[in-house]
Amino acid sequence: MIVSRIRATSVLTLLAAALALRGAEQRPTTELTVAPVDRVKQSAKSGTGAEPVSRITFNRDLAPIVFHTCAQCHRPGEAGPFSLLTYEDVKSHARQIVSVTQRRFMPPWLPAPSDFAFTDELRLTDQQIAAFREWYETDEAEGDARDLPPLPKFTEGWQLGQPDLILKAAKPHVLAATAGASMLDGGFSDSNGKRPDEYWNFVFRSPVAQTRWVKAVEIRPGNKRLVHHANLLVDRSESVRRQETEPGEGFTGMELQIESETFDPDGHFLFWKPGTIAKAEPRTMALRIDPGNDLVLNTHLQPSGKLEQIQPSVGLYFTDQPPTEFPVLLQLQCDKQLDIPASNKNFEVNDEFTLPVDVELLAIYPHAHYLGKDLLAVARMRNGDEKTLIHIPHWDLNWQAVYRYASPVHLERGTTIVMRYVYDNSSDNSANPNDPPIRVVAGNRASDEMAHLWLQVLAKGGLQEGDARMQLQEALARHHIENDGADFEAHYNLGAILQMRGKTADAAAEYAVAQRLRPGDATVENALGGALLAEGKIPEAIQHLISAALARPDYFDARYNLGLAFAAQQDFVRATTEFRAAVALNPNDANAEANLGGAFAASGQYAQAKLHLERALQINPQHALARENLQQILPELPH
Amino acid sequence: MRLANWTASLLSLLSVAGMAGLPLAEVSQAGRLPQNGDASGKEQSDPWKSSAGKVVVLIFVRTDCPVSNRYAPEIQRISAEHASDVAFWLVYPDKRETFAEIQKHNLEYHYTLPVLRDPQRDLIKRGEVTVTPEAAVFDAKGRLIYHGRIDNWFEDFGRARPAPTTHELEVAIAAAVSGRPATLPSVNAVGCYLSDLP
Repeated sequence: MIVSRIRATSVLTLLAAALALRGAEQRPTTELTVAPVDRVKQSAKSGTGAEPVSRITFNRDLAPIVFHTCAQCHRPGEAGPFSLLTYEDVKSHARQIVSVTQRRFMPPWLPAPSDFAFTDELRLTDQQIAAFREWYETDEAEGDARDLPPLPKFTEGWQLGQPDLILKAAKPHVLAATAGASMLDGGFSDSNGKRPDEYWNFVFRSPVAQTRWVKAVEIRPGNKRLVHHANLLVDRSESVRRQETEPGEGFTGMELQIESETFDPDGHFLFWKPGTIAKAEPRTMALRIDPGNDLVLNTHLQPSGKLEQIQPSVGLYFTDQPPTEFPVLLQLQCDKQLDIPASNKNFEVNDEFTLPVDVELLAIYPHAHYLGKDLLAVARMRNGDEKTLIHIPHWDLNWQAVYRYASPVHLERGTTIVMRYVYDNSSDNSANPNDPPIRVVAGNRASDEMAHLWLQVLAKGGLQEGDARMQLQEALARHHIENDGADFEAHYNLGAILQMRGKTADAAAEYAVAQRLRPGDATVENALGGALLAEGKIPEAIQHLISAALARPDYFDARYNLGLAFAAQQDFVRATTEFRAAVALNPNDANAEANLGGAFAASGQYAQAKLHLERALQINPQHALARENLQQILPELPH
Repeated sequence: MRLANWTASLLSLLSVAGMAGLPLAEVSQAGRLPQNGDASGKEQSDPWKSSAGKVVVLIFVRTDCPVSNRYAPEIQRISAEHASDVAFWLVYPDKRETFAEIQKHNLEYHYTLPVLRDPQRDLIKRGEVTVTPEAAVFDAKGRLIYHGRIDNWFEDFGRARPAPTTHELEVAIAAAVSGRPATLPSVNAVGCYLSDLP
């Protein structure tokens, strides 16, 4: 009479973004050299008294560049510290513009030109940069008014129109003039505690009351001049909110680890950086959000010199069209190889992963911390040809971003994705969090390092697309295990995939490896217990489920599974206790109510049984087992 | 906070900044402002007259320069630590910045230093500065012994160390206070170019 539906939670880690402050093309060492702009300007202006006349004019030559490339951020209310909308604006920042464009600090665009174009590229050509310089060094002519193109039309407020649901952080986060004591575990722990960046997470608890399909998400960071980037993550298992001391309080931390029950939700990059143009997801790829799901906004903040408050908002745009395509986020990583000796200027790590199915590559997100120097991802085709997917020759955590391809990149089965990252742990790297440099290994803190490459892909498998997705995930998990036999997440994920494919014995074996890597971890103890339960190994299952429940007494899945396990042993007293605990934790779970009713019925307490079976049917009138069990006990009840 | 008494009477004083024949710079010495709103009690001064015989440090800032703004807490710290030996002045060289903007900026960033404007660029020339934020250090005889960056926090635009590893301004202050000649070359600062100002 027991519903044997076993819950096992699979872990998919989504390690959110990170960064701080660093710049452009050249890497001068300690002494600064000023670009020789001033001298040129002075010599041009001295002597004759007449300035050389340039063929460059603002209206004809520069305004189109400024309007297209700069004005999106350099206008009132946006991230740029001053506006660049008029001749006067540009003239009064002329030397600054020449200097920052020559260094390619502005516009901020890290990837070098490669084999595939990205959307919204913000790269100036050498000719454009030279035009600014020539104009500045000569007469800074305004030019013919008829040449001036119209200012672009910028949308005020929500870029995608009024959202269907606006979430606003429960309370503002207060950012000190210089960050300090409040953010020790998320930021640097440098000796004097001064001026590190801050990483803050805002939790939007269970924003929807019914399942919604989200076609677009717009992130408004609150104060664009302070927020260097923001990453929105979906937490389907309330795993992150536990880090808040009080609901709405938020919490510090550079990287987030989110447990996920299924693999589907994490296939979307929901990313904001200054200048991001909000876009809807492709019509076929809406994002599902269920009641009980939390949204978590991971932000990188830079102190401004004065006290600031940041209170971000997120706009959700709904559609009634469920997705028909399900992108997958593939993560390649070389964290295990990261053991960078102090002062090593060229520390290289590599990973290669061969695709088991055809995919369409939609977007790419390289991620390292402050020691990252040169980040490269290449696709090696089966015929040996290589295409550069992305190359960032001067990595700058400050300007990390998700890059979307202008059109999907088709990669055939058998194509190998190659990542090669180079790190600089010397004092020549001004962003080095340690002075003097020390040995650095992988970790979640800003002063640790990372070597991650995320690819958003659509697995191509025709009617068996779901299978193709699973094949991809399985191949990736096995690949990670090959690289690092002690990779907890990989063993866990492989276990979850095998379980979804019905291979419970193999799943239990993988979970067991993961459990040995992290004994007492509530999630893996529960998953292992669940798999053993499905295999009929009840005493072993109970042992692990109890570990899970002890590690986290409010863990619904563990209490529910433990109820099932006791029931399987005909121990209905204990089963009743556990199901009752499960119902208390989640009063709207029809299965828990049905099983509580079932356990009462099995121990002869029919009145109690009826109560809970009816409650299960209230929650879900379609609940077949509850109805069936209710029918069975009716003759036992007093009339 | 001393600035709370920085009254609107100063506005009339600052508004004549562009006129010829003015003294080197105008000053608002926040703590000494008359409470009755009468501007006539206020002196217009040049830092070397009002701080005769002292080491003088001018720090050039702008309200809209992100780099100089991020330095505000550090400028406050350095000036507080050396207040007994050194006369610090905050110089706003952008003549478009109004009194009200400067006052608001001072309040927001908790500046409590006396403020100068420099509409004639006399202080820029005398301090040989090129960007904001930049410091100029003068010894007790009024000789420029250092101009340049405060420290090496910023290596280039947008590229900052987690914390500075050299502290040029404080080294120069120590030299000036002890009467030693400067031992530092003047190091170019990273920030917003003064030559872009109208």
